[in-house]
Amino acid sequence: MAEEMTMVEPGRGKRKFFKKQGHKKSSNKAKVMPPQHGQKKVKIDKKMKKLFRKRAREYNSDDEDEEATVPATSEPKGLASITNKRNDEDDTESEDGSEDEGAAGPQKTWNKNATDMNNHSSDDEGEDDNEIQPGITKFTEGCRAFKMAFKNIMQKSVPDDMLGPILSGQRKLVVDKLAEEEAESKVKGEAKKEKKMLAEKGHVKPATYLDSHEKFLISVATKGVVKLFNAVNKAQTAQKGLNPSRTKDAKEIRKRTKQAFFSELGKPSLPAIGTTTKAKESTDRVEDEQPAWAPLRDNYMLTSSRLKDWDKMPDKNVSDDMGKTSEDSSSDED
Amino acid sequence: MRKKKQGFRRPVVIKKPKQPQEQPSVDPITGKKIPKSFVFSRGKLPAPLKQLQMDLRKLMLPYTALSLREKKRNNLRDFLNVAGPMGVTHFFILSKTATSSYLRVATTPQGPTLTFKIHEYSLAADIARSQLHPRCPKDLFKNSALIVLSGFVSGDPPLQLTTNMFQNIFPTIDVKTVKLSTCQRIVLLNYNKDTKLIDFRHYSIRLQPVGVSRRIRKLVQSHQVPDLRNLQDVSDFVTKAGYGSESEADEEAATVTLSSDIGRVNRASTKSAVKLQEVGPRMTLQLVKIEKGLCSGEVLFSEYGKAGGKGKSDDEMQGEEDSDGDEDEEDQDGDHPEDSEDKDQDLD
Repeated sequence: MAEEMTMVEPGRGKRKFFKKQGHKKSSNKAKVMPPQHGQKKVKIDKKMKKLFRKRAREYNSDDEDEEATVPATSEPKGLASITNKRNDEDDTESEDGSEDEGAAGPQKTWNKNATDMNNHSSDDEGEDDNEIQPGITKFTEGCRAFKMAFKNIMQKSVPDDMLGPILSGQRKLVVDKLAEEEAESKVKGEAKKEKKMLAEKGHVKPATYLDSHEKFLISVATKGVVKLFNAVNKAQTAQKGLNPSRTKDAKEIRKRTKQAFFSELGKPSLPAIGTTTKAKESTDRVEDEQPAWAPLRDNYMLTSSRLKDWDKMPDKNVSDDMGKTSEDSSSDED
Repeated sequence: MRKKKQGFRRPVVIKKPKQPQEQPSVDPITGKKIPKSFVFSRGKLPAPLKQLQMDLRKLMLPYTALSLREKKRNNLRDFLNVAGPMGVTHFFILSKTATSSYLRVATTPQGPTLTFKIHEYSLAADIARSQLHPRCPKDLFKNSALIVLSGFVSGDPPLQLTTNMFQNIFPTIDVKTVKLSTCQRIVLLNYNKDTKLIDFRHYSIRLQPVGVSRRIRKLVQSHQVPDLRNLQDVSDFVTKAGYGSESEADEEAATVTLSSDIGRVNRASTKSAVKLQEVGPRMTLQLVKIEKGLCSGEVLFSEYGKAGGKGKSDDEMQGEEDSDGDEDEEDQDGDHPEDSEDKDQDLD
């Protein structure tokens, strides 16, 4: 009996492998086997014999079905089932593992016995299968979910590693950008300053006080204005006492207009002549001295000189240009 | 208030139909042509130089285009074409380079072009800001300015040309018929032989009666009621001699006997003191180049190098090399030392 027991146990393991490969239901049955083993040991030997006989008969009839299904699905399912089995074995006791190791060298006789036992278990526990399926599915789903979650977490850890360098990179980039902006602003500021300097070149803010140069310029301008106003005064006061209706007064007015004309001609010609600087000096000195000394005498002298010019060249006075040239020549003669 | 009033006057100057009526091209008295001018710029000018351009336009009033606009595409030929029918005789052209600014004074249509380097300049606003009492009466810019040339007596041909150019820019004055009330402004050009710089100044002319006490003069000139709290009688206001500045007494040479009444205070045949107050732009110029044509043609004078191809020309200038010019200057200085001391003044 001990020999039979030992022979039966490894055979069951082997049969489990084969059925799982063939059918999903068989895998469920295989999972249910351990409690069945306990029950069978308790029962009478006669019953056991009957069971063995039934299984042998069923085995003979099922062999054809298994052969038909195995070639189509055996290989891929085998791989998946092997992985599943290994996981299950890990979960279950270590003793089962040792038995499997023993199963490395299978025998046909053991296989037959295993199939019979499987058939019996399927007949006996048809109802139990329905009950166990949701639990199994939950567990498998849980396992799968756990695996997926774990894998996701592991995958997520990778971006966690990535976040660090990205953040540090961003920090560096920000620092670089700030530095660049500062540099650009400095450059722009300098460019603006240079533009302003160029624009303001030569632009001088005048002083609130008058320095010596400015005072000198004002005095020069004042002298010029005084000269002009005095000349205007002389020319215009000379005409006031005369009435143009009278013949004598008309004649005098004509004379004075001519004198004024000559005096006008005389002024612009003086600076134009560069050669007669001495003459200029003398005339300037005389003009400067005259108003201080005796205005009437100065007028008398000027009028006399102009009259002479007029008498000498009466024809050329008609045109302005000729008048100018005559004045130049007359001054040269003087 | 003054600024607003100035603003009101501008459209009168701008409107074309009124211009021929108000601004004759020929002086009715002397028969001479009244010179007119355009002030514009070539190239892009920075803000201070634009303001200087506006100040120059004001200075040249009333015979100038105050609101002349130029575009980038405008050619010098365009201005020349417009100048012909409008009777414009002179161009003032402002330009700027990296080294400094330049002012060109040219006569249209074919006249010579004088190029001046602007060493320093101050704007009218700057000068007004620097004064305690800036002055800007209503009629200041209604008449053209007088011109005073000082120090241009050396006889150097470029200076002669400069003198003639500036004398002809402003209209001539007939001594017999001019009204002194129209003489409100004066432009001074002072040439310094040593530095070869020309000081350009613009003053407004003011006349004050002489021989009247300060209090009475101020009372008459301004319409404000005097403060009599410290006086016991009205006669005290008249009899007490108010303090006068020493400069007024010193400037006896600046007194003028007027031939006609000017304003409310200065009467005919009474003495008045001439007071000048600076207005408008101030420039320090240096003559750099003289070209025969309008910004083109033969270079008659150049400060920075010998002018090539100088020959006899019909112009008033005679072709002379720079070395000859220098020798002439030295000779004149040696022969006539008093010239440097006495600086003559030329008046239009």
